[in-house]
Amino acid sequence: MLGATSCKKWLDVNTDPDNPNNQSVLVQNRLPWIEHFYQYTAGVTNYRTSCIAGVYYTNSANPNTFSTTWACTNANSTTSYQTWFVEVSSNLVDMYNKAQKQGAYHYMAAADVFHALGYMQMLDLYGEMPYTEAGTGNPSPKPDDGKTIFNGCMAKLNEAINLFSQTQATGAPSLASGDLWGGGDVSKWIKACWGLKARYFLKLSKKTDLYNADSILNCLSKGPQSIADNLVGPGYNNSTVTDYLLGDPVVTNGNFDYAAYGNTIRMSQYYYNLLANIRGAGVADPRLAKIVPSYMTNVKLDPITNRVSSYTWARSIGVDSYNPQTASAPLSVANRLAKGGATSIATASYAGVNTNITYAITDATDRANFIAAVTASGKTFTTSGNNVTVTYKAGSVFINSTNYLLAGDTAYVNMRSSAIATSGIPAQGQTDVSWYAAAPAARSGVAAAAVGFTDGVVASTGSFQVRPVSDQEIVTFHEMNFIKAEVYLRKGDPANAYTAYRAGIQAHIDMMQAKLASWQSAGYTATNPDMAPMSSSDINTYFASTAVANAGNITMADIMLQKYIAMGCSIENWNDMRRFNFSAGNVGTFGVVYPGYQRGPLFTGSAQLTGASPTDPRYWIRRYALPPTYEINYNSINTLALNPHATDPNIWSMPIWWDCATDAEYYGYLK
Amino acid sequence: MRKFAFYLLMLFLSLSSLAVNAQEKTVTGTITSGADNSKLPGVTVKVKGSNNSTQTDARGVFTIKARKGDVLLFTYVGFAPSSVTVGDQTTIVVTMNTADGQLGEVVITAMGIKKERKALGYSVTELNANELMKNKNTNVINSLAGKVPGVNVTQFSGSAGAGASITIRGGNSTSEGRQNQPLFVIDGIIYDNSTSVTGNTGTDGLSRSNTTYSNRVMDVNPEDIETLSVLKGAAAAALYGSRAADGVVIITTKKGADGAVKVNVASKISNSHVTKLPEAQTSFANGIYSSNGVLTKTSYNSWGLPITSADTLYDNIGNFFQNGIVYDNNVSVAGGSKNSSFFLSGSNFKQSGIVPNTSYNKTTFRFNGEQRYGHLTLNANIAYSVADINRTLTTAGLYGSGVGSMQSLYTFPQTYDIKNYLNSDGSQHRIYAGVLALDGDIDNPYWIIKNDKLTSQTKRVTGGINGNYKVTNWWDVTARLGYDQYGTNDYTYITPGSAVAPLYQNGRLSKDLLNYTYVTTTVMTNFHKTFFHDFETHLMVGTTSENTSIVNQNHWGYTFVVPGTISFNNIATTNKFFTDGTTRRRLVGVYGEAGISYKNIAYLTVTGRNDQSSTLAIQNNSYFYPSVSGSFVFTELLPKSRILSFGKVRASWARVGKDGNAYATNTYVNPPITIGSFTGVGNQYYSGNPDLKPEIQNSWELGGEFRFLNGRFGLDYTYYHSETENQIGQPRLAQSGGFIFSTLNSGSVINKGMEIALNGKAIATRDFSWDITLNYSYNKGRLGAFLPGVAYFYPTDAQFGTVKAASIPNGGYFLGMTGQSYLREVDSKGVEIPNGRYQVDPNTGFYKLNTTNPIVGNREPDFIGGINNTLRYKKLSLSFLLDIRKGGDVFNGTEYALVANGLSKMTTLNNRQSVTVTGVNSVTGADFSQTYTAGTNYTIGTTTYAGSYLIQQYWANYAANSYNFITSVNWVKLRSLSLNYDFTSLLKKTKAIKGISATVVGTNLFTITNYKGMDPEVSAAGGTGGSGSTGIDYLGVPTVRTITFGLNITL
Repeated sequence: MLGATSCKKWLDVNTDPDNPNNQSVLVQNRLPWIEHFYQYTAGVTNYRTSCIAGVYYTNSANPNTFSTTWACTNANSTTSYQTWFVEVSSNLVDMYNKAQKQGAYHYMAAADVFHALGYMQMLDLYGEMPYTEAGTGNPSPKPDDGKTIFNGCMAKLNEAINLFSQTQATGAPSLASGDLWGGGDVSKWIKACWGLKARYFLKLSKKTDLYNADSILNCLSKGPQSIADNLVGPGYNNSTVTDYLLGDPVVTNGNFDYAAYGNTIRMSQYYYNLLANIRGAGVADPRLAKIVPSYMTNVKLDPITNRVSSYTWARSIGVDSYNPQTASAPLSVANRLAKGGATSIATASYAGVNTNITYAITDATDRANFIAAVTASGKTFTTSGNNVTVTYKAGSVFINSTNYLLAGDTAYVNMRSSAIATSGIPAQGQTDVSWYAAAPAARSGVAAAAVGFTDGVVASTGSFQVRPVSDQEIVTFHEMNFIKAEVYLRKGDPANAYTAYRAGIQAHIDMMQAKLASWQSAGYTATNPDMAPMSSSDINTYFASTAVANAGNITMADIMLQKYIAMGCSIENWNDMRRFNFSAGNVGTFGVVYPGYQRGPLFTGSAQLTGASPTDPRYWIRRYALPPTYEINYNSINTLALNPHATDPNIWSMPIWWDCATDAEYYGYLK
Repeated sequence: MRKFAFYLLMLFLSLSSLAVNAQEKTVTGTITSGADNSKLPGVTVKVKGSNNSTQTDARGVFTIKARKGDVLLFTYVGFAPSSVTVGDQTTIVVTMNTADGQLGEVVITAMGIKKERKALGYSVTELNANELMKNKNTNVINSLAGKVPGVNVTQFSGSAGAGASITIRGGNSTSEGRQNQPLFVIDGIIYDNSTSVTGNTGTDGLSRSNTTYSNRVMDVNPEDIETLSVLKGAAAAALYGSRAADGVVIITTKKGADGAVKVNVASKISNSHVTKLPEAQTSFANGIYSSNGVLTKTSYNSWGLPITSADTLYDNIGNFFQNGIVYDNNVSVAGGSKNSSFFLSGSNFKQSGIVPNTSYNKTTFRFNGEQRYGHLTLNANIAYSVADINRTLTTAGLYGSGVGSMQSLYTFPQTYDIKNYLNSDGSQHRIYAGVLALDGDIDNPYWIIKNDKLTSQTKRVTGGINGNYKVTNWWDVTARLGYDQYGTNDYTYITPGSAVAPLYQNGRLSKDLLNYTYVTTTVMTNFHKTFFHDFETHLMVGTTSENTSIVNQNHWGYTFVVPGTISFNNIATTNKFFTDGTTRRRLVGVYGEAGISYKNIAYLTVTGRNDQSSTLAIQNNSYFYPSVSGSFVFTELLPKSRILSFGKVRASWARVGKDGNAYATNTYVNPPITIGSFTGVGNQYYSGNPDLKPEIQNSWELGGEFRFLNGRFGLDYTYYHSETENQIGQPRLAQSGGFIFSTLNSGSVINKGMEIALNGKAIATRDFSWDITLNYSYNKGRLGAFLPGVAYFYPTDAQFGTVKAASIPNGGYFLGMTGQSYLREVDSKGVEIPNGRYQVDPNTGFYKLNTTNPIVGNREPDFIGGINNTLRYKKLSLSFLLDIRKGGDVFNGTEYALVANGLSKMTTLNNRQSVTVTGVNSVTGADFSQTYTAGTNYTIGTTTYAGSYLIQQYWANYAANSYNFITSVNWVKLRSLSLNYDFTSLLKKTKAIKGISATVVGTNLFTITNYKGMDPEVSAAGGTGGSGSTGIDYLGVPTVRTITFGLNITL
């Protein structure tokens, strides 16, 4: 018989010698993982909440229930939840504990920051979910209410500021060795913490007892002071490696992975109009051409090389989900969705060869209008009875469908960009992120996917925030300025509000210019002019025009709409809209802050959004349902114990804690 | 090295002590019953260690050739076996005692301890070599089917080298990766019976369901087995500890006997052919309709035009399979002297499969030796085997690894001759070349079996040395060292030009090496004492250690640079990959048993064992479990009765712990990712459990044994109940825990069941006898309460078509099955009305599906049974085994696949001119009836569809309802029939030959069943853990009927 000690040692073989385990991972390897996968979870959140906020339209069935029908489907709930909890949360616990053992205070602090970023995002989305018992392998964690989560995140930020300020223990790995985002710049991280505190304190704007303007201004004074202080997650296009869970590229910008990976997303008319004609000024925003994608039209192919030899760029228009439209009226841009259906916008194909499509149009008016439009576009066509046969010349980006309602959908350029991991076209390379539409069929040795690329006909130039190589904005100077503007206006100080408002616009444009310049120097503009810097005269014209408010007449809508433009693909727009009750116009004396944002003609969400009028809180999308399979099925007893309405269809319109004026209101919902 | 030196020494000792061949003579004897002095006809008389046997005639007289020193064994149903050593005499008188006084009947129990059967407080079934050899199967597990109540055997498929799974009294662990098969112990050493799946379904298509795997007990030569003892309940198995919760099969191999050297030669040849093939429709050709009614003919679906006399049809399926042939040769030499004995055997089993180019070839050697030095007895045994399989991928692996030969064969359009599979340049002849891209195409089955090469070779060495020292007549000490080691080499080559993912189209190669090593040491001591004359006591104390290590390596790569050289050396470095795996587990056990008996009336035994397992959390890794069992022979207290000649009741209670899988106490990380200049590492979505505890099984059983009419008929009855708590599993859980799957201890599995065995001698005359054994058993496996939210346990390898094998918590079936079903109409409360009309979705025009994983079946049979008969007429004996099953759902996934692609005969309904959907509108609740007719257009929602398309869609909708393919299956199978004639008496003049007999055996001769598919005894994914894949039939190699001729010669 072996002795007790040697027996114990002999039995100690339960650690896999071939695979590292969570006890042995270095903090400097854990942090890049956390930073990447936080970007990834934030990407899907930013994209889907931007559909709610009206920035994007999508023809993808599930998020379309956010952008158009507002019949919110639970399928939208799952990915943010899964990517945060499974890909990030448990790593925070392990990184924090490991860092604590080594005295690596900056890594503990980073764990705190990501804790706040992630769980605040979860709070914004779901209202209640496991928090104090989450992320530790607990098989049935109990959920916490919104107040607990909010306060917990704030406490973590305070701890992070404290820890970042400490000198690390000797031998502890430097933050720079693992910091993909900030390069180990501790002061930048501290500013980001203060910036986040400002953002989070602002969420309390409905709460008279907790909202504190001076405390927000104090945070802002310690937050980012210039665009150099912006904390962003970088995006790259230099690897085809994909992630272990959902198979998306691991180096690209997280917003790209959701908003511009596929063919389904278009700019909304609501967002487009703000860029094209804010305040009715009739002056195009210099940022429009950088944010709204375009494609090549009027293409002529070289008869010998078959490559594009001449073309013009056509800028996308927006898809209108909100305005009353008449389905029975002749087809027009205004009633395109009403006639075709909520998800009907079609994806463009590329005509590698001359392609005839015959449309059978029984409605005489539609047929006449259609023929007129085709004639105007210069395409050749023939008619026969109800049939109109249009020839799409080789080189055309076109809609490969015999449904005439869809034929004009090339005007809605999708947001898609390509990365080497996603394009399926090996020759495309790293510095061309434009999207080339696939042809209906392969052509003499060229795969269908690559025909458009081979001919050089760009089907989308993409959009500033959602390219694979875009920065993912985490905490930015422009957001700080807009927060400051709002806070001053709430304080009744329009002068300071105006200064901050202008500084916000300027900071956003400056940030864009810097990035565009870096893209230009990296060679991305060789095929994509939308990635080149804006013209400074356009910028000056814009600032000089009535598109930008004056000191004397600045309104909350001016501030929030400029913030809306600048934040773009970000959950913060939906967060802000909830604070102002969307377009209800019943918050303070600010009037309607988001004019024109409303239930559209294709609204079918009466089961989810049960409020009868805009001033009823339950009229709007105010949270996500918890994921039915990932959480409720497996944790229903705990979930329903805290919120018995968690599985009600209209949970989607239940305000979360910070969206309520008082705790009594909030806990009233949870009864 | 020292070990081998020892074996050599043993061999030398054994050989050097061989007795000189004694003179053979004829021994005549008479056998009488000890109870009433009546003569016993039909008693089997056998020379120990040989196949030389005979039976007594009506006057109880036998004659047999034997040598001085031979041991004659006498066995007779209802009577205790007895033996006599041949001396100088030529006539022998033997008295046999009925089983009620069966002082001699001894069975082998846990730790190899021999016990009188009547002392047992639990059920043990023992089978001897004769019984196993009646329907010899190279996989000894298959020879158990139908013979042992409570034992369920499922053969994986009809392919050469296919394994089988065995469960005893239902499974106890729900989770995938947790085995429910019994422990196998051969000559005291735990013998691995894994069905190891090497390779990677993503890269080489190898998964349980896609090709042929053997279970490793197949490495045993069945002819080497002397007895096989099945310990069913926890009480019987408790001493084996952590791995015995699912029962134990104890195998004892043959030994030499004191006396002359015996040489036995057995040769068999067998021929197998397919029992039943899937039936495909022959009315419609290939093609598929688009929604507007345009037919695309270039399709592997068969929704196309009617087949006319102008078309040529090919019976591709019928022509594909060939007859399988087995050559099975076995030689053994056994002998011994007063103080030593040896047994030496060699065998070769060479099988060609019914699928061309598949085979299984097994060669085995065994040496068993024993030597006594006064009080010390030393045993050594060593077995070596080499098993080779040539196999084929049968169905699709993941990620473009092709579809496999069976899937391709069963779904290939019949208007094409699949034998035409090659172009003149040697490339694959593809029927849709130019239309379908290669990666979207389907390989011709002949291309797969002729060009791809999938082989597996296992070399195994198992051995042990055993020393026993008798200190006094009441005290002995045993020490044992056991060693079991095998290496499996798998080789998978996919030939260039195959219909696989583009990456692999220039050829792919993978090699897997699995090296299993198990070393165990055991020391135990036994005390026996009798007090006050009537109280017998015994005490045993022992300790054991087990050390298991499994190392596996996988190499794979793709694209051979220079065509024709199939080697990793001919693959670019960037296209080559390798991974390593190491599994280590260790266990230390301390155990003891104490027993006391009073006269021959009452017996009581208690056991206890404490294990420490490396696989559990350190703070929980030591666990103790006891058992208590007793028996009471009440007939000892009653006046002697002819009617009830023996009666015993027994009861036992036991607890057994079951440890975890290796490494489950830790959480591991994903492969690193590189972003810019940073390398990120993060957790996998499986969490370990640093607090892991053992599963604990508590069980009890009650039973009785009764013998009637002087033991001519016997009844053995058992009722049992077991509950296995703290189930170790890795279920899907709320993701807010930070993981998708978390290892935990939760919930229980409850098994209840009954076993009845009846045996008797229906007829016993001089020339004719009929022995019959009847067994019946059922088991009901249910799950107890789990952590809320644990909804299902799915073995991921067992999901086919629309169904998934599943265990369902909170009272649900252990062998459940979830799937999809048509929704039925609802009552005013919104509850579905049982057997109500189906809901029709007005948006699709077809039946609406419940896709929330409803439970659609229970794969557990209502009962299973067997009727085992042996009839003897003079020298001719006939045995046949009927295997019976009642109930238990089977999913016919093969038919599902045929319906889905238009090859099922069912889909020719109405000559494909119309289908009718009848039910209630799922939105309005109004009556719904709609006939879709070919040639008419229908607008559903806003889209217009052609009738021909809707008819095709009707069958897609039909295929989506799991219930359309589920049958509660009953069967009666003639599992085996064997005819044996003993020619020995015709050879009286020949001295060289001591015995000769011939056999003809048929297996699977017929099956009467209500199942419409191929064979209802199915398990599409073999020995998957948890609830496994039994009851799921999916595109497998059909089962076979086999006829075997054998000749057995003893020299």
